[in-house]
Amino acid sequence: MSIRVKAKLKKGVVNVKAMAKHKMMTYNQAEKKTGNRDDANFITHITATCNGNVVYDMSTSQFLSKNPIVKFKFKGDEFKKGDKLEMTWVDRKGKTGKGKTKIK
Amino acid sequence: MQRRKFLSLTLGALALAVAPASVRAEDFRKLKPNVWTAHKMEDAIMAMYGTTTTIEEGVKLTAANVAFDSGTTATAANGGAIPVDFSTKIDAKTIAVFQDANPESAVCVYSVNKYSVNDYSIKIKMGNPGTVKVVVEGTDGKLYSATQKLNVAKGGCEG
Repeated sequence: MSIRVKAKLKKGVVNVKAMAKHKMMTYNQAEKKTGNRDDANFITHITATCNGNVVYDMSTSQFLSKNPIVKFKFKGDEFKKGDKLEMTWVDRKGKTGKGKTKIK
Repeated sequence: MQRRKFLSLTLGALALAVAPASVRAEDFRKLKPNVWTAHKMEDAIMAMYGTTTTIEEGVKLTAANVAFDSGTTATAANGGAIPVDFSTKIDAKTIAVFQDANPESAVCVYSVNKYSVNDYSIKIKMGNPGTVKVVVEGTDGKLYSATQKLNVAKGGCEG
């Protein structure tokens, strides 16, 4: 799985912790490694949906850490334990990574 | 020719009118490409929001998760993964994170949705000591921000 997700419903708020597996290579790192800045590759977008509703939407740059960990919260009024939370990232080369979990 | 012009204008206007109402994911890398190539923090904020005037309140920002040195500067042991936590109670539309230590400035942009509880945590890379700035675009059209200076013991962009 290329993104690991954990979600917990507590006092009406869902707490989510996710770790995406990605090198997050910056332009400078790419230049050092291969001599070509265009080899840089990093996650450019992360979204999370719960029962089909977008609960998290983020455009990102190369400055997130390697294997970035993100945490966020969303209102749990419309959701319950056991609901499916799905997360997806897209990187600069168009590759996607997916992960899912059930709200605990 | 006129008809063609009319059509393209109408379509353009329609697209503009529809876009904000949609609940689709917003890709700010495509919407505002200049944000991501800007080298200076001011330029990036300008490209994102059209102004650099922000109100320094209403946003809570903690970086590096350590006690503050002399009140203003925090020290990150490892520049490769600096924890940055921020939250706000402001009714927000978007939230953007910038820093001025790396070749480009923008780190990430969130689009806030109706489910959002605006309390986030990310890990970022910083090659040099610098400043992290979180800008919150309120639904009232004003910009709110918080800044945090950071020392970095070991650069994170050498990898």
